[in-house]
Amino acid sequence: MKNRTWTKTGLTGLMRIFLATLLAAAIALPAQAGPREQAKRIHDRLAGVPPSESVLAQMEALMASDPQAAAYIAMDDTSFYNVTLKNFAAPWTNRDQSVFVPMNDYIATVIGMIRDDVDFSTLLSADLTYVGIGGVVNAAPSATSNAHYEQLEANNVDLSDVALFAGTSQSSVQGIPSTATAGIITSRAASEAFFVAGTNRAMFRFTLLNHMCNDMEQMHDTRLVPDRIRQDVSRSPGGDSRLFLNSCIGCHTGMDPLAGAFAYYDYDEAAQRLVYTAGNVQSKYFNNDLNFPQGYRTTDDSWENYWREGQNAYLGFDSNLPGAGNGAKSMGQELGNSYAFAACQVKKVFRTVCLRDAENQNDRDAFDTIVATFRNSNYRMKQVFADTAVHCMGQ
Amino acid sequence: MRNANSVLLTIVASFVLAACGGGAQTTDLPPPNGGGNNNSGNAPYTGPTARDADVLKFQQEFWSKTRTTDRCGNCHNESVGQNPMFVRSDDVNLAYDAALTVVDSSQPAASRIVEKVSEGQLGHNCWVADPNVCGSIMTTWIENWVGNTAGGGREIVLVPPTYQPPGASRNFPDDAFGPPSFETIIHQPILELYCSNCHSSESPNAIQPYFADPDVNVAYEAAKSKMDLDTAANSRFVLRLGDEFHNCWTGSCAADADVMRTAIATYSGLIAITTVDPDLITSGALRLVDGTLASGGNRYEDAQIALWEFKTGQGLTAFDTSGVDPAIDLNFSGDVVWFGGWGITINDGKAQASTTASRKLFDILQESGEFSIEAWVVPSNVTQEDARIVSYSAGTQARNFTLQQTLYDYNFQLRTTQTSLNGDPALSTPAAAEVLQATLQHVVATYNPIDGRRIYVNGQLMTQTDPIPGGTLVDWQDTFAFVLGNEASNDGLWQGTFRLAAIHRRALTQEQIVQNFDVGVGEKFYLLFDISDKILAAPQSSYILYEVAQYDTYAYLFDRPHFITLDGSTPEGIPLEGVRIGMNGQEAQVGQSYGNLVQTLSAQLFVELGQPLSSLGAVIPLAKGPDADEFFLIFDRIAALTYSRPADPTLVITPTDLTPASHIGMRTFDEINATYAAVTGVDPTTLAVDVVFQELRQSLPAVADVNTCLSAHQVAIAQLAIQYCDALIDGPTAGIYFAGFDFNESNSTAFVGANRDLLITPLIRNIVGNPPTGPQLASQPTYATVYIELASFQAAGTRPDNLIDRLLNPPDIDGVPQVASDTRSISKGVCAATLGSAVTLVQ
Repeated sequence: MKNRTWTKTGLTGLMRIFLATLLAAAIALPAQAGPREQAKRIHDRLAGVPPSESVLAQMEALMASDPQAAAYIAMDDTSFYNVTLKNFAAPWTNRDQSVFVPMNDYIATVIGMIRDDVDFSTLLSADLTYVGIGGVVNAAPSATSNAHYEQLEANNVDLSDVALFAGTSQSSVQGIPSTATAGIITSRAASEAFFVAGTNRAMFRFTLLNHMCNDMEQMHDTRLVPDRIRQDVSRSPGGDSRLFLNSCIGCHTGMDPLAGAFAYYDYDEAAQRLVYTAGNVQSKYFNNDLNFPQGYRTTDDSWENYWREGQNAYLGFDSNLPGAGNGAKSMGQELGNSYAFAACQVKKVFRTVCLRDAENQNDRDAFDTIVATFRNSNYRMKQVFADTAVHCMGQ
Repeated sequence: MRNANSVLLTIVASFVLAACGGGAQTTDLPPPNGGGNNNSGNAPYTGPTARDADVLKFQQEFWSKTRTTDRCGNCHNESVGQNPMFVRSDDVNLAYDAALTVVDSSQPAASRIVEKVSEGQLGHNCWVADPNVCGSIMTTWIENWVGNTAGGGREIVLVPPTYQPPGASRNFPDDAFGPPSFETIIHQPILELYCSNCHSSESPNAIQPYFADPDVNVAYEAAKSKMDLDTAANSRFVLRLGDEFHNCWTGSCAADADVMRTAIATYSGLIAITTVDPDLITSGALRLVDGTLASGGNRYEDAQIALWEFKTGQGLTAFDTSGVDPAIDLNFSGDVVWFGGWGITINDGKAQASTTASRKLFDILQESGEFSIEAWVVPSNVTQEDARIVSYSAGTQARNFTLQQTLYDYNFQLRTTQTSLNGDPALSTPAAAEVLQATLQHVVATYNPIDGRRIYVNGQLMTQTDPIPGGTLVDWQDTFAFVLGNEASNDGLWQGTFRLAAIHRRALTQEQIVQNFDVGVGEKFYLLFDISDKILAAPQSSYILYEVAQYDTYAYLFDRPHFITLDGSTPEGIPLEGVRIGMNGQEAQVGQSYGNLVQTLSAQLFVELGQPLSSLGAVIPLAKGPDADEFFLIFDRIAALTYSRPADPTLVITPTDLTPASHIGMRTFDEINATYAAVTGVDPTTLAVDVVFQELRQSLPAVADVNTCLSAHQVAIAQLAIQYCDALIDGPTAGIYFAGFDFNESNSTAFVGANRDLLITPLIRNIVGNPPTGPQLASQPTYATVYIELASFQAAGTRPDNLIDRLLNPPDIDGVPQVASDTRSISKGVCAATLGSAVTLVQ
């Protein structure tokens, strides 16, 4: 007689059957969303984990009178920071948009700014980064290594704890002038991902993608003046200028004048760090400059936003800003203060919390209200999370 | 007074400029050649010697080439007596004097003799099929002769064009009045019917342009430049039939031309006239051909022995216009098409010379022992490999030399006494540098025995020192063929465009290469846009000058804008803002690089071509073709005039409802881990748990969408759940979590009666979130539902017993009774079944 004991393999087969059974049962359940269920969903969606009985009771009691307050209780959970926000930001920090990346200074800064209700419109311009404090991990924050953040993650350091995780000046960590900092744009992680090699257009494209919720194709406007398209862009790719005139020009005409802001930045792969050369345009701006010598030759880090006019003006740039300037910081302010930036943050939160896009007029009305509140109340992201969670808490 | 002004204007109208660069310098003698066909009319010269160096140069560079009886020597000599006798054989000094009457040493291309051999359909006794080729060759000979006598610089004379305001114009539409109307009125009834035997890509005798192609869109594009929408009678289609009697389909070419004219007039009558917006501030208008020729003349060509400029634009031959006999004319085979603005594009074919003609390379280069391959090319892509760009070879295994593309690299193979018969090993540009780009590039491959092989791209040396020592070319074969765009055996296709190709019998120096690179390629014109009236200056005095070229088949390049006056006036302080290029009555819709230009016009800033206004170039789409497109400038502000440009409309996005999506989803990997930690109380950094989680992390759900749930996710979830339950039940908090349950009891007593509740209740309460009594979460299975599944259901014939009983009484396997697991194992199984289920997975 064989003495059969539980093995992982044997259990797995049973689990699959059981899991499928219960999964089907759960999905088939009618949506009976009373205050308790709504509170549970808010906690699930914000913290990513179910609430304890006491927290659920606390939240349930608030649902009728102040559901936002209930949401703020959910956001007190460590997992809101260590799980939800970490994975909220992780895809923005790499070209593959993978969520499976080690924690880094970009992610940490997003988490910290949300936790501390820092004006999120400064995400692309602030001299700010977040680090573990009090020697909570062995590795110190460094301009040349990500070890500090990997240890914070490996040790599951409570990022909701202000005594363990706090903001500091990015310039002091990165070793660049404060005026050269531009929030997460000049974070080490973003530099490594988007300033490495290439022409620095990747930094602009991914910033646009991640924080304006548009890729270059959506910005395609061939009517704008192409006077800042650099020399490396062939005007007759493969001998056919129609490609340039119908396609390439539409993106480059807006992107290149804005990406001029990054002219002094590079990522040094050998030193593993961001390099900033004040007053000296990086050589990458002159790659393939004989492709079209009559193109724009970068002379400094000036930028200009051509999308303030024409079809892309719908992005809603701040009329109180000049729309042109020098350096990444002012360009980050230009983007960060646009309607599109605010709407994009809400859109991303909506997807995270509601697990879908706004799909009907009711959703769109709520979306617009949340964006307006966000813009009118100092760009507090926790408010966005709370308002969105309440909108999607079920009925 | 007006007459006086006119006289004055006539006097000062010509503004002479020394062109950039230096003219056709000729320091070395070209290789000796017999000058055309060495027939009986080419007897050795026995007359007086040249009286000075210039006459000697004339004799060597011009007279010896033109005196042959298949060229000018059949008439313009003392025997026949046809004046001017510039190729008389009795006295080269007298021939020189006669030649001066038909040669313009300051502008060789403008010489009467060049004009004469180029004129008309056949040219004046042109000795090749294309009279323009004779003109090019004649120009080359004159340049070779006068190069040094022209004072080291070619002069460009800017002549003020006749003022022409921008006119109303018909433009080729892309709507229903475009290809559809063209098809019914012109394409089907005339072109397809009468011209498709040749002018169709489907024809066995396909000849460009394909205006009779069965694809009407292809035909429409090709026919645009052949139809004058404003004056049908001036259409190339009409002239070709009526004046040149080209393949008329009836006995009367005049009647056929009239049919064509009527059809074009009918078609153009459907197209609305584009009138110039009267609010626009515009310059005078002119066409490309109204400009002053700006190109050519200052390439370094002293050692050039073959040159293909691809100017012909039609037919199946690219002529060697180097003027060095014998000409290596290239015949097209396969899909080779002409490229607008001089060039050919190899799509799937080649341009190959006969082995006889190719022998010129063998003869001259083997003697010189060094050479250069020069080409202006546009690779179609950066994905092709072993793609022969320029090759003098027999097949894939035998070559004298080859310049080829491999991805981003240029490779240079050369047969010498130090390399293989296939020219290996090849010299390449460094792969990491990605030198080769799919854009217009100037590439020169040089060889001499001292420096070995070198490859220059856009004037820069891109290769390291050739590792192969220099050798001689004695192993070359004279039976190979010179070919562009392929291997002689057709198995080395290179897809791309040639704008120019040349062979030199010397290894060009970097300085010479840079000189040729700086000259550029293609035909360029200086266009003078009249702004005199806008700045209140004398008529035809003040201009915005552009250097304009046909950039490729589909666009023009406007470059190097300058402000210039031709009457010597010196205006100052005139504001100029926002310059846009207009074409055929309207503003070009794309490519307006000067739209943000802000300048103050100032004569103090005049340099060679006037005041430079911008370093930028503008690529503007071609519409009707270089003979027909009429350009003008539009200003937002000039002097006291301003134009209020309306803003382009902002995009208005109208939202639409989406298909309703699921309002629930799955927890993702980190959420699952955190959830398991939260509901079991196990620290997620516990080594055993963390190791498993890190292994499984990317096997767990990464997105919340329930539609993406895979069986692989379920396996990973189960494994992680088991690990957490293992850590919980074997961990220090088990006694608290499962208060009263004894994991050390035997399975026969541990799960008896109410003991089960001690295990089940904490699991359901913590994991499902529903207590045994009290309010239940309606979004989760109730306590009772889960309890029944885990602990109490007894078989009713429709589904299995509860989980604990099934684990206590495992079924036989193959008739062999099985022993139940112990209490801990069963508990872990029940725990994992709960933890790994949808109650935690679904959010």
